Amino acid sequence: MSKNSIWIGEKDLTQDESFLESVEQEFKSPNVLENSDVITDQSSNRRDFLKYLGFGVGAATVAAGCDIPIKRAIPYVIKPDEIVPGVATYYASSYVEGGDYCPILVKCREGRPIKVEGNDLSTMTHGGTSARAQAAVLGLYDTNRYKNPQHKSDKEFSDISWADLDKAIIEKLGAAKNVRIVTNTNISPSSNEAIKEFVAAYPSTKVVTYDPVSSSAMLEANEMSFGDRVIPGYRFDKADVIVSFNADFLGTWISPIEFANQYIKNRKVSGPKSKMSRHVQVESHMSMTGSNADYRILIKPSEQGEAIAFLHGQITGTGGGSQLNDKAKAGLTKIAAELKAAKGQSLVVSGSNNTYEQVLINDINNVLGNYGMTLGFSDASYQRQGNEGNLDALVSEMNGGRVDALIVMGANPAYDFAKADAFKNSLEKVATKIAVNYQPNETTALCNYIAPTHHFLESWGDAEPKRGQYSIIQPTIRPLFKTRQGEASLLTWANSSAYDTNAEQPYLDFIKAYWKSNMFGNQSEFASFQGFWDNALHDGVLGGQGSGTEKTFNVDVSLAKSKVSKPSNSELEIVFYETANMGNGQFSTNPWLQEMPDPVARTTWGNYLAVPVNFDGNKKFIGFNGLNDGDLAELTVGDEKFTLPVVKQFGMAPGTIALALGYGRSNAGKCGTGVGVNVNKVLTMSEGMTQYYSDQVQVSGTVGKEDHFSCVQYHHTIGVKATNNDGDRINADEATLGQTAYGVGITGYQGSLTERSVIYNSTLKDLPKKLAEMQKKRDIAKHLNDATLYPFDEYTENLYSQGHHWGMHVDLNSCIGCNACTVACVAENNVPVVGKKEVSRHHEMTWLRIDRYYFGEAENPNVVYQPMMCQHCDNAPCENVCPVNATNHSSEGLNQMAYNRCVGTRYCANNCPYKVRRFNWLDYTTADIFPGNQPTLNSEEIPFGADNLTRMVLNPDVTVRSRGVIEKCSFCVQRIQEGKLTAKSEGRRLQDTDVRTACQSACPTGAITFGDRNNKKGDLSKLWNSQMNYIALEEVNVQSSVNYTMKVVNRDESLDA
Amino acid sequence: MIKNSFKSILLTLSIAMLPFLMNGQPSIAEGKTLFKNNCASCHAKNMKSKATGPALGGAVERWTADYPIEDLYSWVRNSQKLVSIGHPRAVQLYNEWNKSVMQPAEFLTDDNIASLFLYIDDVFINGGKKQVVNGESVAEVESETPAWLYYLLFGFLAILALILARITSNLNFIASEKEGGTYERKTLWQTLTSKSVVGFVLFALVLFGGYTTVNNAVNLGRQEGYAPKQPIEFSHETHAGLNKIDCQYCHDGARRSKHSVIPAANTCMNCHKAITVGSKHGTAEITKIFASIGFNPNNNLYIDNYEDLSTEEVEAIYTKWIGDNYLEEADLQELDKEGKRVVADQWNNIYTSLTNDQKTKVQGPIEWVRIHNLPDHVYFNHAQHVTVGKLECQQCHGAVEEMEVMQQHSPLSMGWCINCHRQTEVKFADNAYYNSYEKYHEELKSGDRDAVTVEDIGGLECQKCHY
Repeated sequence: MSKNSIWIGEKDLTQDESFLESVEQEFKSPNVLENSDVITDQSSNRRDFLKYLGFGVGAATVAAGCDIPIKRAIPYVIKPDEIVPGVATYYASSYVEGGDYCPILVKCREGRPIKVEGNDLSTMTHGGTSARAQAAVLGLYDTNRYKNPQHKSDKEFSDISWADLDKAIIEKLGAAKNVRIVTNTNISPSSNEAIKEFVAAYPSTKVVTYDPVSSSAMLEANEMSFGDRVIPGYRFDKADVIVSFNADFLGTWISPIEFANQYIKNRKVSGPKSKMSRHVQVESHMSMTGSNADYRILIKPSEQGEAIAFLHGQITGTGGGSQLNDKAKAGLTKIAAELKAAKGQSLVVSGSNNTYEQVLINDINNVLGNYGMTLGFSDASYQRQGNEGNLDALVSEMNGGRVDALIVMGANPAYDFAKADAFKNSLEKVATKIAVNYQPNETTALCNYIAPTHHFLESWGDAEPKRGQYSIIQPTIRPLFKTRQGEASLLTWANSSAYDTNAEQPYLDFIKAYWKSNMFGNQSEFASFQGFWDNALHDGVLGGQGSGTEKTFNVDVSLAKSKVSKPSNSELEIVFYETANMGNGQFSTNPWLQEMPDPVARTTWGNYLAVPVNFDGNKKFIGFNGLNDGDLAELTVGDEKFTLPVVKQFGMAPGTIALALGYGRSNAGKCGTGVGVNVNKVLTMSEGMTQYYSDQVQVSGTVGKEDHFSCVQYHHTIGVKATNNDGDRINADEATLGQTAYGVGITGYQGSLTERSVIYNSTLKDLPKKLAEMQKKRDIAKHLNDATLYPFDEYTENLYSQGHHWGMHVDLNSCIGCNACTVACVAENNVPVVGKKEVSRHHEMTWLRIDRYYFGEAENPNVVYQPMMCQHCDNAPCENVCPVNATNHSSEGLNQMAYNRCVGTRYCANNCPYKVRRFNWLDYTTADIFPGNQPTLNSEEIPFGADNLTRMVLNPDVTVRSRGVIEKCSFCVQRIQEGKLTAKSEGRRLQDTDVRTACQSACPTGAITFGDRNNKKGDLSKLWNSQMNYIALEEVNVQSSVNYTMKVVNRDESLDA
Repeated sequence: MIKNSFKSILLTLSIAMLPFLMNGQPSIAEGKTLFKNNCASCHAKNMKSKATGPALGGAVERWTADYPIEDLYSWVRNSQKLVSIGHPRAVQLYNEWNKSVMQPAEFLTDDNIASLFLYIDDVFINGGKKQVVNGESVAEVESETPAWLYYLLFGFLAILALILARITSNLNFIASEKEGGTYERKTLWQTLTSKSVVGFVLFALVLFGGYTTVNNAVNLGRQEGYAPKQPIEFSHETHAGLNKIDCQYCHDGARRSKHSVIPAANTCMNCHKAITVGSKHGTAEITKIFASIGFNPNNNLYIDNYEDLSTEEVEAIYTKWIGDNYLEEADLQELDKEGKRVVADQWNNIYTSLTNDQKTKVQGPIEWVRIHNLPDHVYFNHAQHVTVGKLECQQCHGAVEEMEVMQQHSPLSMGWCINCHRQTEVKFADNAYYNSYEKYHEELKSGDRDAVTVEDIGGLECQKCHY
């Protein structure tokens, strides 16, 4: 098998029979005979049908005979000036969840926030977003939220008034000798000020900060090395060589949106002469960042210390790391040479939670002269401040009965702390437990007072993610429930003089006062505070230059080297990792994130045990212990046993398995409860730091089959080859062409599959050669396409040559697979969430999916992500087969879908070569007016989006589709129409910036470009005319409107040896 | 000769009539038109209540008591002139009305003003009923096509058909007699139940039934002519027609949003803070706005914490207002039986109009009945049509300025939209946006094309309205 062939997974690589069969069926419908539960659950039969028919006709008659139902038009009593019904307003705010930070603009319609966009003014994110930030708006309308303050008496929570709650809590706090506050990282200056006020009122108070996924070793190491307990600011754009030891800096580590934006600046390739950074990832499992690396060095998780020590030895010439495996040694030796050649322009990072390993990393960067160049303290990050050691100490304190009042603010240590059970037990010794949180979780369940907080979209606030960089959080809607901002609760209980409870918006006044005395003086641009504040509120972000100074490195490195973690002798090790969608469970109540596929494993609704694959030397790739996708296996870590589904994963270090954090929540509403397994309880702590791997692990063989295996990797596949009866691989289109044109060749393969161009890829070195190869293939495709009866050129000249002709370009080198676009598309276009069972039946509804392909070595492959959405073909195969003309073409080159015409034959989806059309099998949105059609069908409740509260998130400009119709990407036609209208109203030509699709504006790396093909000077034309440009499946002559860039990796053969 | 003389007499007569027709004598009808056009925006139509200007009923008597009628006439033509020369009554009135200036109307002749006061007195004394009834009933007779004429025609034709059938039957009978055959004469019953008649009737019924079914099916959900009763008897005729308020003053979304927007109560208050008593319904309707937003017309102030008041407290405020107003109009000191009834009725009406099952409080928004309803899967944008397309509101909504009760003018069906898109020309030359349509511009220049319609730039495509 050649190094550059592309495969989507093990089933494709080995030509698995059942898979080949399934790719030929567009929709994998359950076999009625095999799935007996479907029959028993589906109570409808012929007699019922007649009943419904009779009822339907009767009801229609009655309805027709009655009066017109009265609809109301309810205007405002006093219309706010800034709101015009039907026109969206945007407010600058910030998405902050612990250390997660993204400056955003919130799109509101008629006073409801419905969509999050990135804030272009931010010098950190430059308008980029993440899937988490995109999904945050749904959290506002979570039915699981607290609606009232609560008090627990006799093990039952009951609602009480704020006045009663405050009175009771003030009384308890007044009597308490020792008060503790537990929080996650808090990057809000005003919030810290509020806590200070609280501490002043209750001087016994101590604050314990920890992070759901810890970075405390880094903080500790920087304290040791530089005397500054912070995370440095990183500048991946300034680094030519990047080495990351298991730091998922594009997906989850510290500030992924910022880093992705920086990282991609050195990764865009426009031709053979382009410069490209080299990114080497040293890791045990295939992380999202690793999948983007040029080269991965595979190590077992316990080898990480040795690997870092080895690289340190190579760089400094001091030796070390002798116990590392030989392959990794060879790789690291070579990369050390490259690092040394790129002094001051390289960057080494690590996700390790071992202080001494982090000290070594600091020394490597120090020796390489990277401080002040590619990383530094002037713009140090505050996005991780936690120290779980303190939490551990708190547990002992509580156990000793030395704490009488505990306030838990937002955090959930009863779930995400490594010693959650100990924490839970020690809680029983605390008399007063107050939860300040916005929805129930494992910790709030154990408290006796609940002071529910606003969602951040209802709150005032501020943030200082990095030194000298500030941003504002402003409310975009009146609080939906009887909640109160957490800081306001603290200030109320402190009876603070700085907090005027009688003011209209007391916490706003508090923040303004804080900003007036602390921020206003640091600037000279504005003379009045009001001007300064208004400007900050308008822009949402402030500052940008780092305000700190660089530090000197000063620590005993040799001591550190002796204390790195030592490799284990165990044959099997497990690594626990954070995913881009779930975090450590903070996001499990969000159905958009639950249904978002993991970028690498492409699994949804749960954590799947990733096991390595081995080639059997003949034809098959066997999973570890003979495990296969969707098998259930028994996993034993320490004393804990789990039964969980398995997914085979390429690119794992041998003898290593991996499992995601953040699942298996026991108190996360109807969306998150019981999804996956909770691995936090098997995490161990070493020197007060949580370790995210274990060598005390065993895995059984297959013990069963997962009921609803919801991995989407093998759904909707394209470009798989066909096999004839003799088992030969054939190119069916060419065979068919030979038959029709010359009367020779094989018959019977019309419309079958062929050797198709889905991905073009190259290494940077081979680029000229590969470009020529691609050009040749494209010429062949063009030649094939010329033999068509379809007069495309004529259409182009007569129809598309004037006005607009929309097109898109996706840069595969910029796409990091983060799925922000997928979630943005779901939010923008009212795409329904279908739930685990439906996903397992290939019924996921996402309009935009990110296909993941492997290429290169089977043992250690590279990955390419290909965002795939409707290609808006100008010669669209779907349009020709629709019997009712529900899908047809517009003069602007859009492939239009008229839902109300669609009768659900699904011919279009069958005929789509890109497999991007989605069918509403059930009434996922409860748009249907007949309750009988609404699903508790197949015994599964489809709860997502059916509630009136959740429906407030719907975009009013996009139709909510009902059961039985096809839907697909519309190129955000509502945004196109809006952009055109803006240009028309202003009496000017349309510019590319007038129309930005949801996926485009969400992308943190600018991988997606949308525009008018007729604008010859626009960005789109430039990209389309690039030599790197290609069209997926060009040879099928559908004249697609989405083009891609050849994927280039900066992989060198010298690294492979 | 006779013919000629007849003609000349006619001519002379009409010439003699001409001045009468042109100027005429003072008449109530003329007064009504003049009042509508010149006075109604400031003076109440019932002549009894105060509006922006004083109530006009009895003005002649009030003036002529102390001054000659000419003074009143010159006051009407140009009040400021009279004030400037220091006419005592003029100055007194001017000061009494906060020095607001009445629009001068120098073009009015003495007869015009006499007509005006004839009309004013008529309304003041008789309530103007006689005139209005006459005017309207005449118009109705003219417009109505009598249905009985059709029935008559139908009956006539039916009888004719029967007679013809009898005649044919008789002719057949005679013919067969002549030929010596026997002909059994069909009875009327036999004729009616004959195969051909039954067949024809069935055919006609199926045809008619099918036609009706299809038509009704097509019209399902369409509401052309829909004119529901609204919580407030708001008159577009008064506002848009008589007072010439621009449509977009209230419907301010039309130029910039997809919705034209039903105005908020505070928009109403821009004018109705001053105009507290309606010309037609008095306090009955305008008070509903006050009760919605919390404006106390008794002291011209907004009520603090209005949301928190109980229904009884709200009732007390507005019944006092209605009652006081009644006393003023009726010139009474204490509410009589009629007055009590009026107050109770009006309050009842306010309460039922502003509350429903979901909304139990009088306070809060006025829940209008929505007339123009598009299905959920239709996207319609007012700004596109009003700002870009520069359409008049009336093109789709009809002559709203003549509608006392608002109704749906157009079918709002897809066919109706499409037709307009086929016929309407795009304002191609005036908007730089359309410069990207280079081919059309060239064709227009060369004369190969007369115009570009909405259809030509894709106005019939599905995803222009459905997404």
